[in-house]
Amino acid sequence: MELQFSEVTKSFGDLNVIRQFDTTIRNGEIVALVGPSGCGKSTLLHMLAGLQQPSSGGLTADGASVAMPSPERTLVFQEHALYPWMTLLDNVALALEFQDKPRKTSLAEARKWLSRVRLVGFEDYYPHQVSGGMRQRCALARAFIARPKVLLLDEPFGALDALTRMTLQSVLKDLIEEERPTVVLVTHDVDEALYLADRVMVFSQRPATVLREVELGHIPKTHDLSAFADVRREVLNLLGIDTDEHIPTDSQGETA
Amino acid sequence: MSNTQSTGVASKRAYVAAIAIILFFWQVAAWFLPDFLMPDVPVALQRLWEELNSGDFYEGLGNSMSRLGIGYGAALFFGIVLGLVGGTLDMVRSTLKAAIIILQSIPSIAWVPLFLILMGFGNMPIIVVVAIGAFFPTALSVMNATESVEKVHISAARVMGASKMQMLRRVYFPAVTPELITGAQLAFGNAWRALISAEMIVGFSAGLGKSLAYSGEIADMTGVMTNILVIAILAAVIDQVILERIKHRLLRYQYL
Repeated sequence: MELQFSEVTKSFGDLNVIRQFDTTIRNGEIVALVGPSGCGKSTLLHMLAGLQQPSSGGLTADGASVAMPSPERTLVFQEHALYPWMTLLDNVALALEFQDKPRKTSLAEARKWLSRVRLVGFEDYYPHQVSGGMRQRCALARAFIARPKVLLLDEPFGALDALTRMTLQSVLKDLIEEERPTVVLVTHDVDEALYLADRVMVFSQRPATVLREVELGHIPKTHDLSAFADVRREVLNLLGIDTDEHIPTDSQGETA
Repeated sequence: MSNTQSTGVASKRAYVAAIAIILFFWQVAAWFLPDFLMPDVPVALQRLWEELNSGDFYEGLGNSMSRLGIGYGAALFFGIVLGLVGGTLDMVRSTLKAAIIILQSIPSIAWVPLFLILMGFGNMPIIVVVAIGAFFPTALSVMNATESVEKVHISAARVMGASKMQMLRRVYFPAVTPELITGAQLAFGNAWRALISAEMIVGFSAGLGKSLAYSGEIADMTGVMTNILVIAILAAVIDQVILERIKHRLLRYQYL
């Protein structure tokens, strides 16, 4: 599904979050939006989901204006988006039940998807009984079960520890390869963006403007990102992270 | 699990101790006062036993319980509906809440003369007064809980394509259940007080309140104390056994 922003502006009262934003996301492309907190990248994502409307400008999906949420464009939240009163199985099945699929087929599908994210044996657990990583696996299953054309990810692994995050990134990458939705990923994590995306857009502080776009192309990648060291350094520098090594001399070390 | 069990035992012990202390003070009063003013505890228990073996007692009990059931049931139903609807409509919420707070401050028994004349001598005015007592705390707790349903839970349902009805049934209702139960227990206390006092005033056909008022009129203090005993035991059983059971059942996920 092709997503197109044309001159999109979004303000909350006096706060101008996005100004005159233009871009096209091609069908099947995996785009990562990277930028400082509060720069408006989540707002872009929520507009794509149809949860928020642009103040001005147009936003289309395959040429049709995006006016409200649709299961075609599903969103994975950072955390706490699973329903605590439902088991993992019911949480996943709910995505189909909301589309008026019969409960029996929904549950059968949900079982299949839970096994695809390696949660066999945890079907009847409640979200608070499992780890954060397992909750996000379940959230991925809930997103993919509806076979969305567009998958929107809002810092999906932001609350997880580094190791769990990398495992989940691999799970997500495999699912994307198999299902091939168009993906828009919002993240703070430059490595996550480089590992998952075909294109990385680096944003400035509010109002969000694109500082740099990096085309990586759709190539096989592993967590060893050494081949992308230059891009990584450049992106980090744009985000205000100093990558020049500071090796303190002996005298500095003593005074410090 | 072990935790809830041990607190359950502790609270049972606390109840036994409390009952012993209350009966002790009653008995002390009975020692100092003449029998026709304050009967001994065993005398009242003896009377209670006789009552339990008489048909009249059950007629009154049945009448009172059906008035309670209808009034309290209707209050729960309308309270939940109004609470959910009011809580989701931003426009009317604060006005509605203010109205409830004002009406709630009127003791439900104060409505008796109005409904007695409006509806005539019979069951109806008692039932309505019971319902009024229980309705406000239910509606208020549901409305407050509806307001504070987590945004991400609503957004998640929207991106999964939930209809308004599905949203109400699958998201709002289970999300407000914990507070609804607290409200319903508060409402039960109100309903119970309203029932007994309305029966005492209206005095239509047999009932727990009427029986108590009648004992007072003929200065049968053993009867008065026996009736008070029945009213206290029933309230404790309904609240602590029946409502607590329902609570544990509905909120099963929280106790795992």
